[in-house]
Formats: sequence, C-alpha cells, structure tokens
Amino acid sequence: MKEVNIDVLKNVANSLMFDMSEDEYRLLEGEFHTTLKQMDLIHNIKGVEDVTPMTFPYEVTTSALREDEPSEVISSDEALKNAKDVIEKQIRIPRVLK
Amino acid sequence: MLEAVIGLEIHIEMKTKSKMFSSGPVQYGDETNTNVTVYDLGFPGVLPTVNKGAVINAIRVCHALHMEIDPVLRFDRKNYFYSDLPKGYQITQYFKPIGKNGYLTINTSSGEHKIEIERLHIEEDTAKQLHSYDCTLIDYNRCGTPLIEIVSKPQIHSSEEAMKYIDEIRSIVSFLDVSDGKMEEGSLRCDVNISVHEKGSNEFGTRVEIKNLNSIMNVEKVLDYEFERQCKCLETGEPIIQETRRFDEASKTTQPMRNKTDAVDYKYYPEANILPVKLDEAFIYEAIRTSNELASSKLKRYLESGLSEYDANILISDKDLSNYFDNIVQNGVSYKLSANWLIGDISAVLNKEDISITKFPLSPDQIAEIISLIESGKINNKQGREIFAKILENNTLSITELASEFNKGMISESDELLKIINEVLDENEQSIIDYKAGRDKALGYLMGQVMKKTGGKVNPKDTNSLLLEELKRR
Repeated sequence: MKEVNIDVLKNVANSLMFDMSEDEYRLLEGEFHTTLKQMDLIHNIKGVEDVTPMTFPYEVTTSALREDEPSEVISSDEALKNAKDVIEKQIRIPRVLK
Repeated sequence: MLEAVIGLEIHIEMKTKSKMFSSGPVQYGDETNTNVTVYDLGFPGVLPTVNKGAVINAIRVCHALHMEIDPVLRFDRKNYFYSDLPKGYQITQYFKPIGKNGYLTINTSSGEHKIEIERLHIEEDTAKQLHSYDCTLIDYNRCGTPLIEIVSKPQIHSSEEAMKYIDEIRSIVSFLDVSDGKMEEGSLRCDVNISVHEKGSNEFGTRVEIKNLNSIMNVEKVLDYEFERQCKCLETGEPIIQETRRFDEASKTTQPMRNKTDAVDYKYYPEANILPVKLDEAFIYEAIRTSNELASSKLKRYLESGLSEYDANILISDKDLSNYFDNIVQNGVSYKLSANWLIGDISAVLNKEDISITKFPLSPDQIAEIISLIESGKINNKQGREIFAKILENNTLSITELASEFNKGMISESDELLKIINEVLDENEQSIIDYKAGRDKALGYLMGQVMKKTGGKVNPKDTNSLLLEELKRR
C-alpha cells in the first residue's frame, strides 16, 4: 500500500480543492499512521483473509425508504441569506464557463 | 468502409413530488430558489433520505428495458467541487447500479436492431446555472431532483439509430409516467460518445464525447458532423484526440472542451450516510405490477382490436392521446369509431385551438356517450357531429337530451318506413338488378334515396335492415 505522508495528503487536498495548515496535515498524518497500525494488527489475526470486506455493518429494509411527499422547504430569503451576491433571487458568482 | 461506433448516456429527470435525498419539492418552472431544503444547500450535519417513489420509478424503467434488478440498493459518493452542488459531492450509484444488462429493440430503415444497455443508475441532479457574459446565476430548485442515467453499450452505428433509441427511451419513461421526457425542458438530456472504425473490425477508434445535447435533432447533427470529421482525420492522417467536445449551435460544429489529461478524478467511494437497502421481492414485484402500460403493448392491443397500423401509431405517439383513447373505449364502445373521432374531429379541434388533449374540454365519457348513440343507431354520424359541436360550445348541455331532440319527428313506425322503402325500390329497378349482381354500391345508393325521401328522419340501422329484407324478397 502507498505510504500516507504529508505530500500524499497535500496532493489529495489539492485534488479536492481545499487546503489545511501544516499542523492539521501533521495531525492527519499521525491519525493515518495509527489507523494503518491498527489495520496491520487486524491483518495478523489468523483467517482474516477469508472474511469478505464490508463497508456497512448491516442492511436495512424497504421501510427505511422515505415516502415521496414534499415538506421542509426553507424560504428563499433563508436560502439566500449566506450568499454574498444575490440578484433576482439567484446567487451571482463569477462566470464559471471559460 | 468506415463505420461509426456510438454509445449514449441519457439522463432523465423523474417526475416525483420530492427530491432524491431530501423532501424538497420537485416543481418545474417555480420561482428561483424557493424549492430548497437545508440538505439541498449542503448545510453542515444534513443527512440524506432515499425517495421511495424514485426507487419504484427506477425499478419500472429497469423492467421495461429487460434489465437485471439488484435487490440491494447501494449508493456512492462522487466528489467534485463546483457551484452547482453545494455539498461538494453527488450521490450516485457508481459501483452497484440498480439495473444492469438490459436491451432495447429499435426499428430503423435498415430493419430491427437490438441495442444492449450496460447499466441504469439512480442519482441526484445539480442546480441550474445560467451563464451570462460576465457572471453565472444559480437556482438551487433543481438541485437534488431525482435522476436516472441509462448507459447503452457502444452498439449504435448511425445517427438514425441513435435518434430511434432516444425516442424509444423517451416513450418508455413517458408512458410509465416516470418523466415528461422533454428534451427542450431539460428533463431528458443526452451525452454521446463516438468513434470510427473499419466495419467488421474488433478494434475501436479513439473515442470523443459530446455532452449535454438538448434535442434529438442536435443529436443527429452532432453525430453526422463528428462522423464526417473523424473520417476526414483518418483519411488525412490527422490524429483523433480523446477528448470532450461541445456542440456549437451557431456553426453546427463540435469544438474541443477538455482532453483526457484534464479529466477529473472523482474519488468515488460508498456513501457512508446511506445504509444498503434490501429491496424485498414483493416490493419489486409490486412496483412492476402496478406500472402503466407501455406504448409497445398498447400498439399490440390496438392492432388486435382492429385498428389500422396508421391509426394505432398516431395514438401511441402521444401518451396523453392514447390514455384519452383508452378512457373512451373503457365505456365499451368500438375501437375503430373511437379512433376515428379522436384522430378526426377531436384532433381538428386541438389543432385549431393549439391545445393538447389534456386541455380538451370534453371528457372521454362524453365522447363515448356520443359514439354509443351512433353505434346503437339512435343518431347518425352527422347528428353525432352536431351534438359534439353543441356541447363544445356549451358543456352543460345533456347529450341524451340533444339526441332526443333529433329523434323528435323521426319515422319510428316500421309500416310507414316499409312503405317508403318500397317506393324507392319501385323507382330504382336498375339498382335492384345491380345489387343482385353483387354491386354493393347499389345498396348505398338506395339507402341514400330513402334518407332523401325521409329527410334523414329515420334510424339508419333499422332502415338498413329493412331495406336488405325487402331486397331479398324481390
């Protein structure tokens, strides 16, 4: 597995278009090292290779689906409250098409 | 000989009441930024909830496209930073689409073609951005609208096949009531990819993608242009670059947008905020069982009920027209007469008023009532049209009462009618000879003479029976 170091984290952050302070990068690097160490520990447990990797602990049933009924709308004033520039109830930003 | 290899990705906006992962309303044409929730705007701590109606729609389309339906619904996160999706990611089904391995059969001038479909997945739409010369305006109403994306295998070889394929998909989603399927309003959008290779070769050429085509005509123009361009490149030795191009409406050409090296890495991973949903068999079965009849099935039914191919195809070209027709014949009246009324008199009114059948003021039951009176011989076609015109002017009038007005003064006594029929027969001996010699036109002529003599005040059905009986006697 590729080593997770500060350069890798900076590259990922750059791809996702955000940045962090050097302290935050060091903190995150440390967290990754801890996580990877824990994964190594799990890897050393016998028979782990036969276990199918999983993302979720369990599945839910169709009752978890939401009925198709609208509700919970916020007013356009609330929706636009945090926008720096609003014109005709639309958020205006610098032109994004080249 | 060079051949085009075309694959299509079609995005379809679903006609649900609420959004894919929030309960914000879905309503086309509302005032900007009024149909938004905190989830749609990506506020901290918001969590997605999966729309059951959208899942049912997706299952129905999968079934119509003969796809394998995954009984476990899973979602993934597509990460990108852009103003049209404030969360910073789109929830989609990258790893496990709800539908896979389907097909669609299309009819073109070169015959029937089976186009295989790779996948169908559910995702959320982005906000609508309006680009002016110096700024971009954002309306988040559309943000989060449920979408299905249908990806074909690269098995389409001409613009004609591509147009038929899109039209067939449009018909399916429209008849299933999953979407309006209106390209001009953006509820059906199409990305195409096209390469060129030697016909019969197993090797593919370099692929070019053209995004966001908003009309079937533009799909045709783009594919024809791009096929010619790529053929010329191969002839002159100019390299074809793997890139995304855009269609320039003004020049009717495609222009480079971005090449492969600019491709974005979306860093897909399973959407941690939505647990996998096990769709039980009964849920899938019920979604399919309760889905609307497709155009292909209606066509078969219409042809079996005696409609001409021409009439049947007119009816299925418009979901609302065919639904109106089905509501007329539900009353037990003749398919043929109902089609004649709908395609004839009613369509003439729709054209004149420039309205769709959904805005037509008379109900299918009213039309069925008129047809039923004609079928039973209580009124003739001409009188039916007069009633139609009168209730169009005043929809509160009773069809039964109008019909009885016509029947006032009608010759109802068979003795009186018989006397008139015999007078006509006596005056037209040559027509009797012609009829006996097998010339059916003579019967029509004799009927016309009876109608003339009675001023049309007879029941056409009874008159015809009596006339035939009298002809037998002579």
